[in-house]
Amino acid sequence: MTEHGLPLFPVTVVGSWSRPSWLLDALRKRQGGRMTAEEFDRVADQAVLEALSYQEEAGIDVVSDGEQRRDNFHSFVADKLEGVKLLTLAEIMDLVEDRAQYERVLQAADAPAFSIKNETVVDTIRPRRPLALDEFTFLRQHTKKPIMVPLPGPYILARSMWVKGVSDKAYPTREHLAVDVVKILRDELIALRDAGCAFVQFDEPVLTDVVFNRDVKERTFKCGSMSESTGDPSRELLFATRLLNSVTEGVDGIRTGVHVCRGNWSRKDEVLLRGSYEPLVPTMMGMRVDRLVLEFATPRAGDLDVFARYPKRKQLGLGVANPRSDEVESPAFIVKRATDALRYFEPGQISLNPDCGWGTFAERPMNTADVAARKLRAIVEAARELRRTVG
Amino acid sequence: MLNGIDVDGLQTALKAVGAQPDTAVARKHARVRWLDRLKFRAYVRNHQFEVDEPTHLAGDNANPTSMEYVLGALGTCLATGFVFNATQRGIAIGNLEVALESTQQNYLVFLGLGTEGHPGFDRMTAKLYVQADADPAQLQELWEHTLKTSPVGNSLSRTVTLTPEIDVIP
Repeated sequence: MTEHGLPLFPVTVVGSWSRPSWLLDALRKRQGGRMTAEEFDRVADQAVLEALSYQEEAGIDVVSDGEQRRDNFHSFVADKLEGVKLLTLAEIMDLVEDRAQYERVLQAADAPAFSIKNETVVDTIRPRRPLALDEFTFLRQHTKKPIMVPLPGPYILARSMWVKGVSDKAYPTREHLAVDVVKILRDELIALRDAGCAFVQFDEPVLTDVVFNRDVKERTFKCGSMSESTGDPSRELLFATRLLNSVTEGVDGIRTGVHVCRGNWSRKDEVLLRGSYEPLVPTMMGMRVDRLVLEFATPRAGDLDVFARYPKRKQLGLGVANPRSDEVESPAFIVKRATDALRYFEPGQISLNPDCGWGTFAERPMNTADVAARKLRAIVEAARELRRTVG
Repeated sequence: MLNGIDVDGLQTALKAVGAQPDTAVARKHARVRWLDRLKFRAYVRNHQFEVDEPTHLAGDNANPTSMEYVLGALGTCLATGFVFNATQRGIAIGNLEVALESTQQNYLVFLGLGTEGHPGFDRMTAKLYVQADADPAQLQELWEHTLKTSPVGNSLSRTVTLTPEIDVIP
């Protein structure tokens, strides 16, 4: 057993589950103003229970609500915060001066401006509803298993929500906005702890954009986020670390983690970022979180030896299943990956998960629920094998 | 009403316009006045717009260049034609954008830095992104029809290789 009462090599998820078509219909109606929040929640309740059922039947140890109520892993905050609007890029281009940079983003993404939505600060932000406490409370009523809750990290929120020419009326810089973002996330973390949540994961996938797109000094579109950057990787990584540490510092009694991946919006590996975690490891080691939730199921992410200089310093959420493929990883493959990780981590420090969510973006699921469930069952089988041989 | 257009009113207007003897040649007038440096104001009917050059070419970058207006005019002409034809066929448009890209054969000729070829457009790509209440094949056919019947498209495609593309957004 681990120190948290879970079996060794506990199996969990990174957050999202593919949404059924009837939920997507309801989401579109909700976004189009043709369905109330209460009506949408009734539909989403059913979808959450289905996502939970898949996870429980697969036998995993820590479950999520599949982010079924969210449009994507970060833009959903527009519905939860006063002062934030979900604007299309077409709307943003009507409001800002430097339209040329957005045109470059659109060309690179080969996308129309009406299809990209960005949660954008238009006024001072404050909570309208909890970010995730209501999601947790609903799930708690329907499962005895420990629950993980994913939240967007403070860095991705500060980067994506602050749009020059729109947000600077409320906050002169994204650094000013970050102060309020940190407070809102910290309050949410404390509320989730007090409600009995087992694990909160902060999603910061744009950290890979910082180190792999280091020459980009303006906006990029990665992971569904229209992100503003200074173009100085060291400064950005320090900023991200300070923000996350300000959220978690002194909040005891709940485990926390940070999830970093290279994008999960396409099944074409060639359009996603690629590269080792090596340039990010020192930053992640400086973050006051318990667990690093990372992808290691495909060669795209590099190797585990990046932890050679930092043995046993953190818990590892080891990605062992590719959420973007139909082929189910064999338990033998998963056992091998975990065995590789044991060179740098104690058995009690390793949990097993897919590389990322199954449906990070509601409209662009990376897999079907059936394939996702089969992959989870393979991970569960591998975990049992590991407990027999390592435990 | 469809796509914000009064369909019955449009049909009535088309009948009236078609009966006018000069409609086919659609004669147009414009007047351009020099303001200062490389800034100009164009007057057409009761409208006006200004033209400038970027700062690296001795302008003030206060407005688009003439060539950018031509590129934009192609995009707006194609968008106008698509919505016009879609409305006549009873197709509701949800969202529509045209993304354009162009190259010029040898801009150095205009700058006096070269003599080979000409400085005009030699290639243009116009990609339509559309969300509409119709199947993709119908939208593809409509896009092709729009290209064939576009006034600006025809004005340019006689000398420019014009490549149309379409992306129907589900």
